[in-house]
Amino acid sequence: MTSSSTKRISAISMAALLCIGTLCAQQPTGALKVEHQIGFESAKANEKGTLAIQNGTLQYTHNKESVNIPASSIEDVFTGADSQRTVGGTLGTLTMLAPYGGGRVVSMFRNKVDVIILNYRDANGGFHGSIFLLPQGTSNQFKKDLLAAGAHSSIPPDADDAKSATDKKDKK
Amino acid sequence: MKTTKKLTSTIVLLFVVAMTMGSAVSAQSAKPEKIKTSAIEVMKVDPSDVKISPAFLAALYENLVTELSKNGKVSRIEREGDKDAPGIKDLVKLQCIVTAFKEGSERQRQVTTVAGASKLSVIARFTDNSGKVLLEKDVTGNVRFFGGNLKVTFDLAKHVAKLVNENF
Repeated sequence: MTSSSTKRISAISMAALLCIGTLCAQQPTGALKVEHQIGFESAKANEKGTLAIQNGTLQYTHNKESVNIPASSIEDVFTGADSQRTVGGTLGTLTMLAPYGGGRVVSMFRNKVDVIILNYRDANGGFHGSIFLLPQGTSNQFKKDLLAAGAHSSIPPDADDAKSATDKKDKK
Repeated sequence: MKTTKKLTSTIVLLFVVAMTMGSAVSAQSAKPEKIKTSAIEVMKVDPSDVKISPAFLAALYENLVTELSKNGKVSRIEREGDKDAPGIKDLVKLQCIVTAFKEGSERQRQVTTVAGASKLSVIARFTDNSGKVLLEKDVTGNVRFFGGNLKVTFDLAKHVAKLVNENF
């Protein structure tokens, strides 16, 4: 092996490492597939997108658009649990027309989801409330990441868990 | 003769009483004066002592802003804390105070169609810059058949927008 080919290989590998490093730095950490419920003016209700935290900013990406909110402008973060219909939307409504109560049976099938509620201030100081549905079991870690990025919360993440457990007990 | 006179006077008296009451009722039912303003500032929803999930408070706030903006009766709808709001002279503040809440269940509604209704009641209070109450009404939102529990906030916001439509 000649010295020139060794140099070329090492240069290529260095460039590849650099590219990987850059890509890793750009990729937001902990990007979650979410469903927007309400609160982000540019997004529709029930629109799917991703929620990520990058450089102290909460980033919601949907339809190739992204909305950025500085984590420090988030006044309060709440988490909770909910469920949604397995067959939802228009199809879910149409199943109600199924004969012999078939639609009612379909509506009994539900997926468990986590909910995250963010109260934040826009650049002009205006208050906003927003709600997202997250995959089950992810909201608490996401809240911890948000708090680490500079968001505020009146309830610590672990207390949220305890509170939802008490609520479930109360319901029973 | 005497009885005829007595009867006539009784009828006249009854007529006078009916006229007086009628005018009083019509005075009461007369349309109240409309509130004039160029902007409403929507304040954060006050849960008071009612146990309610923060999701419902956030959804109600956002639906109030959306529905009041859609209504178009008042040209500017400001969010609480907006830097432009204090500069508006005739600003009216809208504060919703939760008085009752029943979360209900979407599953129960869809399976039984009679049970599981969601209900949210608030006092919608409109005040001027000095804190004087201009209008205060109880408003209730419901979800009885279709939709998730959060839809109760949409229903309530629509009723508040209707209230604004009637009084502004």
